[in-house]
Amino acid sequence: MISDEAYKELEEAVGVDNVSRHPAVLDSYAFQPFENHESMPWCPRPVAVALPSTTQEVSEVIKACNRHNLKHKAFSTGWGLWCGPTTDDVVQIDLRRMNRIVEIDEKNMFAVIEPYVCGAQLQAEAMKVGLNTHIIGAGPNCSPLASATSMHGVGHDSIYMSYSARNVLGLEWVMPTGEVTRLGAPGSGKGWFCGDGPGPSLRGTMRGYTGALGGMGVFTRVALKLYNWPGPPEIESTGTVVDVMSEVPDCLRIFGCFFPDKDRLADAYYDIGEAEIGYNCLKVATPAFMMILAPHLFKKLKGTENLRRLLGGTLGQMFLIILAGISREDLDHQVDVLKAIVDEHLGFVLDAKNIPTLGSNLAMNFIRATMPALVFRIGGSFSTALGRNDSLDTQLAWGEAIAEIKRGYAKKEMIIDDMGDNPYFVPYENNTWAHCEVVYPYDHRSEKHLAGSSAINMDFIINAIESCMEPMFGVVPSARKVLSPLTSNFNRWQRKLSEALDPDQTSDKGFYTDEAEFDFTNVPPERVERLQKLVEDLTWTELGPPE
Amino acid sequence: MSLEDYRRDIEGCSRCSSCKWVPYNQIKSWRFSKNCPSIYRHNFHTYSGSGRMVIGLSLMEGRAELDETVAEMIFRCQLCGACDSACKTYRDDIDISEVLLELRSYCVESGELLVEHMAVIDSLKREGNSLGELKTARGDWARGLDVKDVNSETCDVLFHAGCRYSYDPDARETVRGDIQLLRSAGLDIGVAGVEEACCGGRAYELGYRGEASNYADDVLNRVKSSGAGTLVTACSDCYSHFQYIYPKIGKELPVEVLHVSQVMDRLIDNGRLDFKHELPLSVTYHDPCHLGRKGEPFTGVWTGDKLDRPMSLKRSGRKGIYDAPRNLLYAMPGVELVEMERIREYAWCCGAGGGVLEAFPDFSASTTVERIEEALATGAEALVTACPWCLRVFKDAVDQTSADLEVYDLADLALISAGVAQPASV
Repeated sequence: MISDEAYKELEEAVGVDNVSRHPAVLDSYAFQPFENHESMPWCPRPVAVALPSTTQEVSEVIKACNRHNLKHKAFSTGWGLWCGPTTDDVVQIDLRRMNRIVEIDEKNMFAVIEPYVCGAQLQAEAMKVGLNTHIIGAGPNCSPLASATSMHGVGHDSIYMSYSARNVLGLEWVMPTGEVTRLGAPGSGKGWFCGDGPGPSLRGTMRGYTGALGGMGVFTRVALKLYNWPGPPEIESTGTVVDVMSEVPDCLRIFGCFFPDKDRLADAYYDIGEAEIGYNCLKVATPAFMMILAPHLFKKLKGTENLRRLLGGTLGQMFLIILAGISREDLDHQVDVLKAIVDEHLGFVLDAKNIPTLGSNLAMNFIRATMPALVFRIGGSFSTALGRNDSLDTQLAWGEAIAEIKRGYAKKEMIIDDMGDNPYFVPYENNTWAHCEVVYPYDHRSEKHLAGSSAINMDFIINAIESCMEPMFGVVPSARKVLSPLTSNFNRWQRKLSEALDPDQTSDKGFYTDEAEFDFTNVPPERVERLQKLVEDLTWTELGPPE
Repeated sequence: MSLEDYRRDIEGCSRCSSCKWVPYNQIKSWRFSKNCPSIYRHNFHTYSGSGRMVIGLSLMEGRAELDETVAEMIFRCQLCGACDSACKTYRDDIDISEVLLELRSYCVESGELLVEHMAVIDSLKREGNSLGELKTARGDWARGLDVKDVNSETCDVLFHAGCRYSYDPDARETVRGDIQLLRSAGLDIGVAGVEEACCGGRAYELGYRGEASNYADDVLNRVKSSGAGTLVTACSDCYSHFQYIYPKIGKELPVEVLHVSQVMDRLIDNGRLDFKHELPLSVTYHDPCHLGRKGEPFTGVWTGDKLDRPMSLKRSGRKGIYDAPRNLLYAMPGVELVEMERIREYAWCCGAGGGVLEAFPDFSASTTVERIEEALATGAEALVTACPWCLRVFKDAVDQTSADLEVYDLADLALISAGVAQPASV
């Protein structure tokens, strides 16, 4: 509940039409089914929703919350459980009205945007001036600001544009106290061109590794680095996603690269990174890719072992890569380099130029990252196995380990069989590093699938710990409680930062620093014991990691 | 069907917000990237396709109660279907448009009615039209035309004018011209004149299903008695209702149903209609929701798990009528078609639908102005559409904003180009 006095102050801050406490409105914000493994798709209902349109209004909302001992939680485009409140005393700040592209600086190659600008919008405008923006793998519906400030953010284009946090050149931030600060060059009033100043550097302050997921005030403006786009101002396309057909610009070439095994695939990745070619690159799990395009057909065919072996085995070690050249000579050179690398590692290339309809379909879908949400077609929902970042070799091993776990659960029909390891796998940092989120489809309306979700997640966690892998998605309070002591007590440091910048703890920190007990109800006892043993053996001490 | 029948659709929503945007591959600018007039105006997530589905879930679970405010949230929507088409680029198992219709029916059955909608229904009951006009004037538009009266004669083609074309003085000449053109091409046409009544589709959309069913029976009986093999309408609303709502409620018409633009397109194809008069005009075409994404024919109800629903039964919006109107424009000498950014199944709504024009005129008008601005951005001299409801609100908006834009019914341009009407107004 929110008091009339507090509510009135919210009205004064944003205008009476832009705040609500009607239960039906609040419920539309409490509905957060994605990555919500509870049997009902709700998170705690906010006490009010406010729609500020300026930084000043955000500040006023937060100050009002502080005066009335209410927490606040902002979101941009709002997809995922982490966008919603985690306690029942939260004012949801919906940043939808802060939707402006403030500036695109063509010469200095950056854009200043507000929270509700989505990736597709920014890309469409950037391309008009020969630039492009990083779009995260979740898709172009997501806010580049949110990803850059508050989460990790890799994408198909990471081979060229890295991940979101790398691209921040300046920041406007309404602190949990309501004060407004600017980090990076804008902190000195000198423009939005550099995250390290002149002015207070944003490195390490704005966010940790994963981001605070809305648990540390509200980011209201960000300057993002833009990249070269050698193509036309607009890619002419018809259709929407599955049926999209685009005119592939002359500056692009699209290849599928297939390898006989994982090691050769990895070596090719490294060589491509060293050669510094590639504009867009995604490891494609061939059977799962087929399944999102034709779910009905492949549901019927998935029992066909030979097909499974062909798609998952023979054609399983592949990535799709888009090359972009600033001139014909540049593009030809990149093509030659790619072919030589693939050849050297005993692979073969499938040149989309020879299959025009394939290239025509993939060009826009990959440049704009529009396909991942097609995974919904398989089971209505999907989750990922502890998306994480590590050296490329390690990530390939992680993909294989998770695939094995997935197969077990698919066999028990506790998730949907998508015929293989379905990683969201992208290389970046010159391909020495990679992000891997193994996707598993399920139907969150199925009790059996929901029952399986806590068990499968426990297996993922145990496997990550056993394999000494860094589980980035330890954002769920229960996972954080288990993982933090094993991973340099990261949450202890996050808390210190949180307490320093948010002395009254007014931001909703459920997905940032809160910890909770695991619900072991659906987890087999031997797995619980295994986890407890691992925690006992591997917990860090004050002196550092265990022997 | 009831709201409860769509619980699985509702619970399937992932809240990805695709329902709020033009399908991402078709976003061409920041300015024209939104697809939902309702959330564009009202901003709370509640006013999106996803948000309204959540209202349904909240009501079903007793978390929120249906009251006047909730009913208004439900009805502040043109039912344009853009959310549904956008959602279906990713989802096979969610029918947002059906949920929105069920929510309205739920409101009506629960007694949460809008006064303005009750006036529409009252007009329907008393006068057989949704505009508050006299039934006795229904056939005036056809007075003096050399056309069969299906109340006493049989014909090959029954022409249904619809409420707006029958009464709106700015639209009547269009349907008179349609009749002249189709007759000059040799079609055997009849009209019901004063006996024609509303198709009932608007009643269905407002949630009054009993009334909708009655009017469907009326049309069905008239079609049968006319002996016609084809029903042609110039009204996109009527077209959608004949094609989708009628079979859905078990009143499928036993004849081929065509929009007049489809008929003209066919006549051109088989050489019976020729556009020979030069029309030096750059135009942009507005896809009416009810002819486009909501013009898809009903293909049956799938009672199993929608994840397994055959694609042929999925209402994606792609199978609407998009090409026939454009073919006509391409065939007109001198006419240059410049497309807006939001077209076909992701077109922006004109603002008139779903009872919004009647109940929330300000909201309707702001939606219209948004489309006018998009049309102006193309640089075209004229905005062309194929629906009298769109035409009405576009003309009003241009008058009120003094926008430098002409507004035409597609059929009017066809009549001029074919030499059936004088080009005085172009």
